[in-house]
Amino acid sequence: MDSIAHPTQRQFNPYSDNGGTILAIAGADFTVIAGDTRQSEGYSIQTRYAPKVFPLTDRAVLAVNGFAADGNMFVKKVKQRLEWYRHAHSKDMPLRAIARLIQTMLYARRFFPFYVYNILGGIEEDGTGAVYSFDPVGSYEREACRAAGAAQSLVQPFLDNQIYFNNQQPAPGTSHPVHLPLPTILSIVIDSFTGATERHIEVGDGLEMYVVLAKGRGVQGLEDVRGVQELSVTEEGERIFVIRRDLKKD
Amino acid sequence: MSALEYNGGSVIAMVGKDCVAIASDLRLGTQALGISSNFQRVFPMTDRLYVGLPGLGTDVTTLYERFRYRVNMYTIKEEREINPETFAHMVSSTLYQHRFGPYFIEPVVAGLSKSPTGALKPFIAAMDLIGCINFAKDFVVAGTASSKLYGVAEGLWEPDLEPEDLFETISQTLLNAVDRDAFSGWGAVVHVITKDRVISRTLKARMD
Repeated sequence: MDSIAHPTQRQFNPYSDNGGTILAIAGADFTVIAGDTRQSEGYSIQTRYAPKVFPLTDRAVLAVNGFAADGNMFVKKVKQRLEWYRHAHSKDMPLRAIARLIQTMLYARRFFPFYVYNILGGIEEDGTGAVYSFDPVGSYEREACRAAGAAQSLVQPFLDNQIYFNNQQPAPGTSHPVHLPLPTILSIVIDSFTGATERHIEVGDGLEMYVVLAKGRGVQGLEDVRGVQELSVTEEGERIFVIRRDLKKD
Repeated sequence: MSALEYNGGSVIAMVGKDCVAIASDLRLGTQALGISSNFQRVFPMTDRLYVGLPGLGTDVTTLYERFRYRVNMYTIKEEREINPETFAHMVSSTLYQHRFGPYFIEPVVAGLSKSPTGALKPFIAAMDLIGCINFAKDFVVAGTASSKLYGVAEGLWEPDLEPEDLFETISQTLLNAVDRDAFSGWGAVVHVITKDRVISRTLKARMD
């Protein structure tokens, strides 16, 4: 009896989902960019400390979420392009230009995308706080606040309520503030992540919050924050700080 | 698409200080198409007991009539009102009787239960479509906006809220959650159950 070769189908899946959540909120003259530090695959935790938020320049911070391998490679490539820009122009690339660069880099991979949701935060050339959010193929928008990742559906409606004051009526003769002060925003970020940690298994372990301050703003709002660490070398120009907090590990 | 998501809709219940609240949106749709903006899915079972039935629209009606019948029979035979705990188990066993061909409903029960001393104690519970009960101490959610409801409730809820503050908390939670859900919204209704009255309000909501 001859054995007949049957056709077999093989498939390699180059992507996976590594969980976690990121979030950014813009203030009048500062921006907060945050992410948890858990990295997981399915029900397994690969590490409790894998940063998802990366400082790019003195005034730009990028948060990446989705497929971690693609995320790390993408950040590496963006940093490389920013270094080339520095060598060519003897200055850092402005935030809005970085946003457009990220769009073209993502769209360049339109048919084999980086499986990553990006949120770019920092200070614009006019000194205002800005947040840019992207989809994996480069569609982007400037906003005041955005959450992305595993707990996006938990966090975003909370932010709509607390940042945009959606469904809230201002007291008679008053109006809602357009920009909130830094301590308020830090509290909202911490509450968002503790809430997400409570209800989502892929969120937890640690929280990293990057704060970018506009040129000459001063550190008001950061003085009595526990364990705040400055990353910028000089007090001239924009300044970057990082605040770390523990999240539940279960 | 899942039968639980075919018609859309969401329900939430919260515990306060000597009070409970239950709220729902008013949308009934067929997938993305909106059909009604006045579809009630929260029903009074006794003076101090409400049930919310998010899920497949046809089963909302069927189960409501079924529970109404069984609560009436219970009241007649026992000559007393049904307790929220007892009612929750009645709902649960009704759903489990259909273990292999379920009603596509995830019920939420909210009420004040009478302890032996006569004091009233807040009670909330939620179930999956085959009747597995979740007796939560804080809040329960169900429906197509459940993940959003969890996120907002986790941020807004606090223990021992007075009736008016509980009303504000549950309303804000529901409104902001359903605004991010395409299958929920189109109006909302809130019931706050206190020891001497039930405050029912229809909320002004986004209609898009």
